Amino acid sequence: MADTVAQSTMNQRAGMSLRTRRILTHAGIFALLLLAWEIGSRTGLLDPLFYPRPTDILASFWRVYVTQGNIWFHLYASLGLVLAGFVAGSIMGIGLGALVGFNPLVRRFIKPYVIVLEATPRIAVAPLLIAALGFGAQSKIAIIMLVCFFAPFINTLSGVVNVNEEKLELFKSLGASKMQTLRKLVLPEAVPVIMAGERLALTAALSGVLVAEFIQRDQGIGSLILTYTRNLNMASAFACIFTLTIIGFLIFRFMEWLDHRIAFWNHEDGLNRNAQKRQARWSKKLATA
Amino acid sequence: MEQQAIIEANDPGTAVVAGSNVGKTFANGTVVALDNAEFTIPKGKFVSLVGPSGCGKSTLLRLIAGLIAPTSGHLHVHGTQVAGPRQDVAMMFQRATLLEWRTAIENVLLPTEIAGNVEDADRERAMELLHLVGLGDFAFSFPAQLSGGMQQRVALARLLQTGADVILLDEPFGALDEFTRERLNVELLRIVAEVGATTVFVTHNIAEAIFLADEVYVMTPRPGRIAKVIDVPLERPRELAIQTSPEFNHLVDEARDVLGAH
Repeated sequence: MADTVAQSTMNQRAGMSLRTRRILTHAGIFALLLLAWEIGSRTGLLDPLFYPRPTDILASFWRVYVTQGNIWFHLYASLGLVLAGFVAGSIMGIGLGALVGFNPLVRRFIKPYVIVLEATPRIAVAPLLIAALGFGAQSKIAIIMLVCFFAPFINTLSGVVNVNEEKLELFKSLGASKMQTLRKLVLPEAVPVIMAGERLALTAALSGVLVAEFIQRDQGIGSLILTYTRNLNMASAFACIFTLTIIGFLIFRFMEWLDHRIAFWNHEDGLNRNAQKRQARWSKKLATA
Repeated sequence: MEQQAIIEANDPGTAVVAGSNVGKTFANGTVVALDNAEFTIPKGKFVSLVGPSGCGKSTLLRLIAGLIAPTSGHLHVHGTQVAGPRQDVAMMFQRATLLEWRTAIENVLLPTEIAGNVEDADRERAMELLHLVGLGDFAFSFPAQLSGGMQQRVALARLLQTGADVILLDEPFGALDEFTRERLNVELLRIVAEVGATTVFVTHNIAEAIFLADEVYVMTPRPGRIAKVIDVPLERPRELAIQTSPEFNHLVDEARDVLGAH
């Protein structure tokens, strides 16, 4: 134990300088790339119409966020849709996945449809959804739900189906009811797999909202990108795209953080944190006893 | 029936587990996993089932646990027929099968939670049991933070938490290294003696079977059956060193003769 602690601090100390060196190297390379882009764009080596100068993109960032401030409205609209579609798609995916997983009969009958649905690109159905639900938030959310649904569905299904046989036998030998087995064993055991599905779903939701807004260009970041591109204002279009990059990255980190919280037992930091928390809760319980 | 069961359980020397003509076949009768097993296990006795794979030792254990039903014969625990998993019988498996999202003490409390409400007395009992298996300081560790041997100790504490007085162990330390296994076997003897449980222990290791047991059922395959019951008159408490004694080796030879002749 003392050994590993000493080792990790040693690694940390050695890693610090290594890490700063690495960061500096990456920053240097990135700066060089930007510089090359800037020069290429200025000298006409890169067509400035399609590859606007980095400095212009930076200026566009300033404009869309500060002086004009027009991106906020669209960002707000898009993210609202992402959230609504993601939550609705997840609930449907996890719910149906659990339902199908628990019921062998339903599973057998639904399997062929799942395979067909999986092989069909979900986006292809988007125009049909608009035809059915009309223009507006409803059909946009439906499109996002459609792209969000599948990963949680499949993952929940497989998580529920692939419960450890020995643990099931343990619950049986303890005389556990079906409901107890479900609540205390099957669902918690499926949590890490479900979380992995949710990660995929949220990333898919971001693509989904863009598709929805490319089709219905009334508002949202997707429609803004289209508008800028049509007006040949590529610098502003890039500002929108890089905004999405940042959002995508934040989503990734957020889901990672959430996974460490919810499926804590798969991560060392989560184990240590929760062990302390539970000890505190327990000593309170035992003290009052 | 109920009354009789209680009387029998309180009377030392009466059979706690009894089987008459117990048989189990699989695959529509083509595979005879256990053939015509006749046995009685008195209260507080430690019985080892030893034999090669396919001899029916795990089948017999799962029959007593009520996890599977016999195809023929009768099986009684405390005078009542085994019709499924029951409160007075508890089982432990080769792998610890702990729930990874629960701390050691929360795992120990699982049987209580399943049986009903968890009272303060149950919590105290769980803590005592963790101390009994030598894990008092690890009550709030998660399984992933414990070694394989420690995880099996938690599983043992969980088994004792059920309050069952018939405990069934299916190669409980089989996945552990030799040193850990020997140490845990010695502790197991101390613990079952302390709680006064009737124990059935499955293993494929002859020396381990004899070291632990009052009686060893030597089992042979095709069809799976109890070929011989060997009485182990060695004194208790037992130390690992008795394994080098002539009496011990004589018993090992006796078991090996049965298995070799088959």
